[in-house]
Amino acid sequence: MTSQFAVWNLSWVQRRKLTGLLFVLPTVAFVTVFFIVPLLMTVFMSFHDWPLFGERAFTGLANYSELGKDRQYLKSLDFTFRYTLLVTPPIFLLGFILASLVRRNIRFIGIFRTIFFLPVVIGLGVSSLLWVWMLDDRIGVFNKILLDLNLVTKAQLFLGRPNTAMNVIILSVVWKTVGFTMILLLAGLQAIPDELYESAEVDGAGYFRKLFYITLPLMRRFIALALILSVIGSVLSFDQFYIMTRGGPRNSTISIVYWIFNNSFTYFKMGYGSAMSIVLLGILVALTGAQFYVLRERE
Amino acid sequence: MAATLNRDADRAVNQLSQQQIRRLRRRALLALRYVILIIFALLFLFPIAWSFINSIKLPAEALAVPPTYLPQQVSLENYVELTTYGKIGVAQHVYNSALVALITVAGSIVLSTLGGYGFARFDFPGKNFLFIMVLSTLMIPFQSILIPLFVMIVQVDLHNTLFGLALVYITFQLPFGIFLMRNSFLAVPLEIEESALLDGCSSLSLLYRLMLRLVLPGVVTVAIYAFINSWNEFLAALIFMTDQDNFTLPVFLTTIRYGIWGDVDWGALQAGVIVSIIPSLGIFLLLQRYYMDGLMGGAVKN
Amino acid sequence: MSFRKTLFIVLAIVICLGALPAAAQDEPIQMSMWVRSIPFQTQELVDQWNANNDSQIELTVVPSGEFVTKMGAAIAAGEPPDIASIDLIYTPAFAAAGQLVDITDFVRELPYADSLTPAHMELGMYEGRNYAVPTGVDGSFIVYNIDLFEQAGLDPDNPPSTWDGMLEAARAINDLGDDTYGYWFSMNCAGCNAFTFLPFIWASGGDVLSDDYTEATIASDPIVAEALAFYNTIWEEALVPEGASIDNGSNFVSAFGAGNIGMAGTGNFAISGYTNDFPDLNFGVFHIPGKEGGAASFGGGDVIAIPSGTEHVEEAWRFIEWTMSDEAQIEIYAANGQIPVRLELVDNPYFEGDDRQLTAASALAVGHTPYTTVYNDLFNDPNGPWLEMLQIAILDGDIDGAIELGQERFTQIMEG
Repeated sequence: MTSQFAVWNLSWVQRRKLTGLLFVLPTVAFVTVFFIVPLLMTVFMSFHDWPLFGERAFTGLANYSELGKDRQYLKSLDFTFRYTLLVTPPIFLLGFILASLVRRNIRFIGIFRTIFFLPVVIGLGVSSLLWVWMLDDRIGVFNKILLDLNLVTKAQLFLGRPNTAMNVIILSVVWKTVGFTMILLLAGLQAIPDELYESAEVDGAGYFRKLFYITLPLMRRFIALALILSVIGSVLSFDQFYIMTRGGPRNSTISIVYWIFNNSFTYFKMGYGSAMSIVLLGILVALTGAQFYVLRERE
Repeated sequence: MAATLNRDADRAVNQLSQQQIRRLRRRALLALRYVILIIFALLFLFPIAWSFINSIKLPAEALAVPPTYLPQQVSLENYVELTTYGKIGVAQHVYNSALVALITVAGSIVLSTLGGYGFARFDFPGKNFLFIMVLSTLMIPFQSILIPLFVMIVQVDLHNTLFGLALVYITFQLPFGIFLMRNSFLAVPLEIEESALLDGCSSLSLLYRLMLRLVLPGVVTVAIYAFINSWNEFLAALIFMTDQDNFTLPVFLTTIRYGIWGDVDWGALQAGVIVSIIPSLGIFLLLQRYYMDGLMGGAVKN
Repeated sequence: MSFRKTLFIVLAIVICLGALPAAAQDEPIQMSMWVRSIPFQTQELVDQWNANNDSQIELTVVPSGEFVTKMGAAIAAGEPPDIASIDLIYTPAFAAAGQLVDITDFVRELPYADSLTPAHMELGMYEGRNYAVPTGVDGSFIVYNIDLFEQAGLDPDNPPSTWDGMLEAARAINDLGDDTYGYWFSMNCAGCNAFTFLPFIWASGGDVLSDDYTEATIASDPIVAEALAFYNTIWEEALVPEGASIDNGSNFVSAFGAGNIGMAGTGNFAISGYTNDFPDLNFGVFHIPGKEGGAASFGGGDVIAIPSGTEHVEEAWRFIEWTMSDEAQIEIYAANGQIPVRLELVDNPYFEGDDRQLTAASALAVGHTPYTTVYNDLFNDPNGPWLEMLQIAILDGDIDGAIELGQERFTQIMEG
C-alpha cells in the first residue's frame, strides 16, 4: 500500500506541508486565473497607448511619467486620502459603540442587530441615489424637516459646497457601512471569554481598564481586518462621488478611482488608466503592509 | 448564640439590600441601553422607512414639491410599474441575482474555509507570499482589470452565464473570506485539534467534523458578506452579460430612468430599493440565529 | 504543476467545443442588438421584426451611462453585437476606430436618403463614407407651463421668441411667488446643457466650434459671452430654484413636472413622461430662440449601425432598412409619439392637430450636432471644460474668466 503512493513515504512534516498547500490550492487557482492574469494584462496595457477601441502602440514608461504632470491625479490622490482619514474614525467609533450595545443576548437584540445591519445590504450605488434624493433642496425630506422645524429659513444645498458635500457623503457612507464594521467587531467581542471580564471585575477593574487591557488587545485581529477592509474600501471609493456629486462642486470631489474610470472610459485612455491603477495598487499594498506592521502580534 | 444569630440576620439584610441595589442598577443600565438602542435604531431605519413610504405613494406624489410626509393615497402603482419595466419584469432579475448569490456564497464558504484552515494551521513554502497575493485581490480598482477580466471570461466561454459571473465574484470574496477564516481558526485552541489528530483523524475529516462547528460564526459572516456583495454588484454583472435576460437586479435598477440625461423615476426606484432589500433581510435574519449563539465563545470555554 | 494541468484541460475542452460543427445552414439567423436605455420604440420594432421574419433579433437594453464601457469591453473581447443603436455623438469615435461596417452602398440605394434627419446623417459619416443611419431622433426645445403663463398674465398662444422675451416671461412667473420659478436648468449636468444651452448660441448665429470643427471659437465668437450672460441673469435674478445649480440631471425632466416651473429646456423623450406621470400638467412647446429671434435645436438621439466583425451584415441591414420604412415609421414610431427619422413623414395621421409634436418635430429640421471624435471629453464629461465654463460664468458670474478657461481647455483637448 505504501509503495503505491509516493506521498505516504514522506515524513510527517513534509506531509503537513503538502496538506497545507492542498488546502490553499483552490484559492490560489481562483486568484491566479481571475486576478493575477488580468492584472498582468493590465500591467502590459500600462506600457501602451491603448485606446478603448482602435490602434494601440507601445510607449514604454510614457504613461507613468505622465502621472507626475497630471494635476488632477495628484489632486485626486490628495482628496482620496483626506476622505479616507475623515471617514474611517466615525465608522470605527460608531461600529464599536454599536457592537458593544448589541453584544449581550438581551431581549429583542436580534431586531436591533438587524436594523443596524440593514443599510449594509443596500448597494452603494442605490444608497447614494437614495441620499441624493433625501438631500435634494426641493423634493428632499431633510430640507422639509429642517424647514418645518424652523431650523433653517431656506432650503440648504448640501451637495453644493465642497465642505458640506464631504460631510453629507461621509454621513451617508457611515450609515451604509457601519453595520458591517459592527458585525466584524461583534465577532471579535464574542470570541472573548466572559471569564476574563469576570476575573477582571473581581480585581476591581473599571470599564476603561477592561477596554484597554482585555477587549482591544484580544480583538486585535478582528480590528485589523475591519480596519484594512475599511481603508481599502475608502481609498477605492467611487460610486458615492460618481452618483452623489459627479465630482463636483467644481471638481472638488473626484476620487482617484473616479479619475481612473474617467480616463479609461470617458477619455478612452485605457493604457493611462492602467498605469494609474498599478501605482494605486502599489500604494495600497504598502498601506496595508504598514497596517499589518502596526497591528502585528506582539509577544 | 443569639448574638451570632443576630449578626447573621444583619448580614443577610445587608446582603439583600446590596443585591437589590445591584439589581436596580443593572435594571437602570439595561433601560438606558434600550433607550440608546431605540434612538440609534430610529436613525438607522429612517432612510429605509422614508423610501418605503414613498414607494407606496402615487408616482406623481412621490415627486411632489415640497414632499408630503404621508401618502395622500396608498398605491402600489410603483411596484406594478416595476414588474412591467423592461422586457421581462423584475421577477426574472431577482431570480438571476439569487442564483448568482447562491453559487457565490457556496463557493466562497468552501474556498475560504479550506484556505483559511490551510493558512492558519499549516506551514508550507511561500505561505506568506500566497497570503499577500490573495489579499492584494482587494487592492486594485475593479474597473481597471475589468476589460482584461472580460477577455479572460470570453476565452473560457463563460461570458453571458451566471456561473461565470459567480466565479469572478467568488475570487473577489476570497481576501475577506480567507482573512476571516484564518482568524477564526487561529482563535481555536491548538489542544482541541491536537487531541483529535492523535486519535487518528485525517486533516480533512478533522476540519469537517470538529473545526467547522467551532468556526461557524466565521463561516456565516463569510456567507453574509458574499451574499451582499454579489447581490449588489453592478459593473461586472453588466459587462459580462450580453443578454438582457441574464441581467441581475442592480443592472435592472439602473435602467429605471425617464430619459437619457440621468433623470430618475423616484417612485419606481424606491419600490426597487424595497424589493432589493427584502431577500437580503431574509438571509440575514435566517443566518443570524447561527451567528449570534455565541458558539465561538462557548467552544473556547469548554 | 497541477494548476497548469487544470488550465490545459480547460483549454482543451474550450478548443473541442469550438471545433464542434457549425450550425446547419438553413437554421434562422440569430442576431443580437444593443440599445441604451432610452424610451425609443426599439422593443416594439424588434418584436414586430421577429414576428414577421425568419431571422430573429435578441434585444438587450444597456444602461445609458455604461453603454460605451460595455461596447469597449465587447470589442476588446471580440464579442460585439450584430446591430447597435448608439448615441449619435459617439459615432465619429467608433467609425474612426474602424469598429463599424461601411454601409455607404446600402444608403445610396435608399430612395428617401435625403430626407433622413440631417444631423444624424452627418454624425454617421466618417471621411465621406456612411457608417450609421438615424433610429431615434430627439431634438431639444423648451416646454412651458400654460397655466402659469395664464396666471402671470402672459399669452400662452404666443410664447417668447427672443432672450429678452424669455427673461420677461420668467420674471412675471417668478412674481407669482409661492415657490414658483420662471425657469429650470440642471447646472451640474454637462450633457443636459449641451442639449439645451448650445442651441441658444446657434440660433443667434454663433458657435463654440469652428465650421470644420477643428478649433474652439469660445473666445472669438462674441455670441458665446452674450449667451452666458443671458443665463447668468436668470441665475442672478433667482429665476431658477437655487437647487438647479447642483442638479446633476436627476431632476432634468421631473423638475418641470412638479408644476411650479414656468419654462425648461428639454427634448422629445420627455413629452410622454409628462403626459403619463403628470396628467394635470398643462404644457406647450416652443423652439429655443436666438438673442433676437430665430430658432435652433440640438439633434440628439441614436443612430443605428453594424459593428465590425458580424457575419450577418446583409440581414442586419435588412432590419435597419425596414425600421426606416413607411410602415415602421408611421405605425410604430408616430403611433407611439416618436418622431419619424424621415422628415417628410412628420405629416402623418397620428401627429395631426398635435402642436406639441409638430413643433418638436420641426425642431429637428433646424437640428444640429457638433461633429468631433472628442465630443465626450469636451461636452459630456461632468468634469470636463464645458460644464466648468458654464458654472464659472453662470453661477459665479465670471464670464471673462470662464471664456478664457473654456477656450484654453477646449483647444488642449482638440489638439490631443
